[in-house]
Formats: sequence, structure tokens, C-alpha cells
Amino acid sequence: MPAGGPCCAPIARVAPQRSFCPPVADQPFYQLQTSTVLLLLLAFYGGTFLMSTRIARKDENADGYMTSNGAIGYGMSAASMTATWIWAASFYAAATSGYRYGISGPIHYGLWGALMILFIYPFGRRFRALAPEAHTLAEIMHARHGRSSQLILAGSNIAGSVISLMANFTAAGALVAMLSPLDFVHGVVIAGVGTLSYTLWSGFRASVLTDVAQVAALLGAAALIIPLVFFNAGGLEAVSQGWDRLGAEQATLFSKTAFLEQGAPYFVAVLAYAIGNQTIAQRLFAVREDLIKPTFVSATISYGATVIGLGMLGVIALMVGLEPAGGDHNNLIPQMASAYLGPVMIGVFFIMVIGSLSSTADSDLAALSAIMMTDVYGRNIARGRANPTTMLWVGRITMIVATTAGLVFASLRIDILSLLVFVGALWGSIVFPVIASVYWPKVTNRAFTSAVVVSVAVFIFARFGLLPVEGALALVLELFATLGAGVVLGLMAFGFFGRRTGLAVGAIAALAFAPFTLGFLRDYPVLLSSLDAYGVSTAVCWLLSVRSRERFDFALLGRRVRNFDGEPAAAATAPGARSMPATAPAMAQRSGGGL
Amino acid sequence: MMAYVLVWPVIVLAMMFVMGRGVWRDVRRARKRGEDLV
Repeated sequence: MPAGGPCCAPIARVAPQRSFCPPVADQPFYQLQTSTVLLLLLAFYGGTFLMSTRIARKDENADGYMTSNGAIGYGMSAASMTATWIWAASFYAAATSGYRYGISGPIHYGLWGALMILFIYPFGRRFRALAPEAHTLAEIMHARHGRSSQLILAGSNIAGSVISLMANFTAAGALVAMLSPLDFVHGVVIAGVGTLSYTLWSGFRASVLTDVAQVAALLGAAALIIPLVFFNAGGLEAVSQGWDRLGAEQATLFSKTAFLEQGAPYFVAVLAYAIGNQTIAQRLFAVREDLIKPTFVSATISYGATVIGLGMLGVIALMVGLEPAGGDHNNLIPQMASAYLGPVMIGVFFIMVIGSLSSTADSDLAALSAIMMTDVYGRNIARGRANPTTMLWVGRITMIVATTAGLVFASLRIDILSLLVFVGALWGSIVFPVIASVYWPKVTNRAFTSAVVVSVAVFIFARFGLLPVEGALALVLELFATLGAGVVLGLMAFGFFGRRTGLAVGAIAALAFAPFTLGFLRDYPVLLSSLDAYGVSTAVCWLLSVRSRERFDFALLGRRVRNFDGEPAAAATAPGARSMPATAPAMAQRSGGGL
Repeated sequence: MMAYVLVWPVIVLAMMFVMGRGVWRDVRRARKRGEDLV
């Protein structure tokens, strides 16, 4: 192995360095032996596969395949939510943020990511109360509005999960290629096949069970690696010497640049990610209803601490003067591990990353299968005549197709951080229409669909600068963005404190932001377009709904959204569903429904 | 700065304990009642 630098011993197979020793720019990655990597991967995927066989049934239940028994306990669900929300990009992006923006950088990535989990739970309780037997959020929209709203939401969920799969498989390939003699494609294929192997048969149930072991490995490794890297990089000595390397913005916790370029776009995406992500919705429908709050609060804290902590590796890298290999910031964490951890801990680091990406990938597979089973097959193809056995195979075939697609797309190697911002903003268009649809009886299908279509068009226009954003056009976009900022904060307050507080916070926030956003946001296209997605969708949805004569009875949702196994006729009551003779049990279920 | 870096792994460890205790209770409850864990 090449040496690490003039004052360092070769980084391969040496004890961690105790004195401050900045690595050189072209420092290589530590190389684990092929047999070591293969054994680690075999132990990881073999172990998770064996775990999944403990709960496998010959005849799986279609509803259980999507949302388990709907009564998962606190520990299992909190661990699963944490494991799902921490993915490979969490480490890399948080460290990148720390490297770019200094000490506030990890906060501006990890805190907002954590709040995505926190701010969704009040709405999650509402979804659960309205439709206790739901499998997907899109299914609720189908029962509320009909097919177009459902398919918009399902389509955005599918896009998000496929992108997530691709990103996780890419990360696996990159990690294996960096830390072993194996190729990128070996890592991608092993991660894809390994994840599919333990998720395929039992679906969501296997995902939740294996998440427990994965989160234990993940969090345990993070708790060890963060202090080890810090002290091996020189500890306080490195900090005191490295402080000079920080610019003024990098040295403060209140960096305006970090907030505007990193924190604010993520803050805007807080509700969007949570609403647009079926992996969260699935866990909201799977956890015991009275445990939603403690589950999501715990996951918020554990996600935030893990990701911010690992983001500190980026700050340390900046302080010791490490240059990302090849100029790629995604290399920062593997470089830090290579430079400052011994061989055993590099193996632990390897398992940490594989655990994080696999737990998210298996959740994505379970999410995709639930959407195809419920929203495509159950509600649109079978239309109330869903056969649970066929449904299960739809889910399993979906997993195989999705894994194949993820493996193929992984070879494109798209910038993960940019994708996150783009998809998050895309989901921003959906947030207000979805939330309004479960609280405001006047929202119509036309209002929902029009709001999303128009706001996505405006978002793309603003984000990619299809016309020069200047003059009156810039001012109009900034006005909608200001409204969007009010909507984001208003909805957050609404979730916790109710309608009056939400409206007050939203109005005050929009008015307070106006002097700072008008004439200013045009220089920040990411933030401008993200806020426009909220502002435009809210304006269109409100304008088309406020005069509508529709007064939707929310009690219908619980009667329209039912389990598939054992209640084959329940879905026939949804709007747009084909009329059909109801079975006796389904008639009994609906006897008090007034349908 | 050291406290700022090291507070996160401490929180991670605390959350591991809390969630681990929760998992243990879930397993025990499921066994006691003869129900599926997931």
C-alpha cells in the first residue's frame, strides 16, 4: 500500500495514529482483502436471511406483507423507523455538509432530516384515525378523491423509492470498490441480491424484523467510530490547529451560507419527504396506534444524533486538511475511516454502511410492493375483487423488478445530494393537497390534481431557469415562495396545535419573511423553486376548493379503506370502483356505514 | 468543540439503550401472549 504521507506510517494495517497528522491529498483507501469483504457480506446478508426465515410463513397474509399486524410494539417500530430513515446518503451528505459549511453543516443536514420524522406524526395519527386499515397513503387519497389523486401520490412514491434503491445500491458498489479489490458492480449486485433475498418472501414483516439487527449494528458502529476518528485524528490538538483552516462562515454555528444553501432547502422539504415517502406511511400504519408518538419521537432523536455525529467526520476532515479523493465529497467518510481507523474498525465501518443502505433498500422494496399491490392491483386492476394470493405475487414480482431496475440505474451514478433536493421539492407540491384532503371536506379531486400539476410545472420552470428569473417574473415567483414559507411553518404548527395556531403562524411567517424574500430569493433557485412548489399548490388547491359545494364525510374513509385478506368486496365502495355484488361479511362490515 | 463532537455518540448510545429495552419488552409481550412479534 502507498504511504499516507511524510509524517505518517503507511495507513494500511497500522495502528491508528495518535498524533495530529494531516493526510495528503491523494491518500488511498484502506483495502480489505477480498476474502474478508466476502465473509463480512456473507455474515451480514446470511444473518439477515436467517432472521427472516424465523417469521416466514408458507401462506403469508397479503395485509401482513404490507403493514404487518398493525400493532407492532414501540421498540421494534422505533428501531425500524430509525434504520429506514438512515441511509448511505445520510452519512455522505452530512459529512459533505460539514466539510463545506463547517461546524454548522452537519446540523443543517441532520436536524432537518430528523424533523421530517417528527413533524409527520401528528398527521400520521390523523391518517390512522381516519383509515385504520390503510396500507398506503395513496390508498386513502383514492378513497377520498378517486384515481387521479391516488396515482399522482403513488407515482411520486414509486419515483422516490426507485431513486432511493438506486442510490443505496450505488453506495454499496462504491464502498466495495473503495475498500476492497472487488469491482463496483460486485458490490451493487451483492447488495441487491442480498437485500432481495431476505425481503422477498415476508415483505414488510421481514423488513421490520431485520431492521432491529441492522440498527443495532449501525448505531453501535457510529457510537464507536465518531470518537475513535476524532481522537485518532489528533483530538483537541487537531481542532486547535485546524481552526485556522475554517472561514468565518465555517467557524460559526449560525452560518447564513449554510442555512441558505443547505439548511433552508432541507427545512422546506421536511414535510414533503415525510408525505412523499411510503416507507414512513407504512410504519405509521403498522405501529400500534397509541405508540405512534413515542415511536416517531425516538426515531427523530436517534436519527438526528447518528447523522449529525457522522457529519462531524466531515468537519474533522476539513480541520485536518483532508482533500476529498478525486474531488468527490462522497469519498470523505471512507477516506477518514481509512486514515484514522484500524483494520477491525474499518470492518465495523463497512458493516455500518452496508447495514444502513440495506435497511433502507429493504424498506423501499416493501414500499414499492405495497404500492403495486394496493394502488395498482388492488384498487385499480382488481377493483374490489383482489385475490390475496395473486396480490402477494404482485408484491414479490414487484420486488424482483424493482431490484433489477435499481441495479441497472445504479450504474448511472447520479449525484445523491442533488437528487434529494429535487425529489423533496417535487413532493412539496403534494403536501398541502394531501393534508388539506384529510382535514377540509371541501377539497375536490380537481383541486388536488390541478394544484399538483400546476405547482410541479412552476417548480421545474423556477428550478431549472427555463426563462430568466428577473423583473416581474422573479417578483411573482418570490411572492409564491413567501406564501410557501408561510405554508410550511403554518402546516407544522397546525399539526401540533390546531387550525387557529396554524393559520396564525402561517400568516405571520409569510408577512415576516416578505421583506427578506422579495428581491432576494431569485439568487437561490433551489430554495425559490422548493418554496414555490408549496406556495403554488396551496394557492391553486385553495382557490379551486373554497367555493366547492363538496362536503366530504370523513367517516367514509374508514369504510372504504379495508383489509384485502378476508374482505374482498370492501374496495368496491371507493369512488370510481366497479359496482359488484358484495359478500356477506363485507355487507356486515358496512351495515352501519350508510353507503 | 470536543463536547460538540462527542455529545452525538453519547445520545446514540442512550437511544440504543431505550430502543433495545423496547425491543426486549416487545419480544417478551409477544411470547407471553403467543402473538407474532411482527
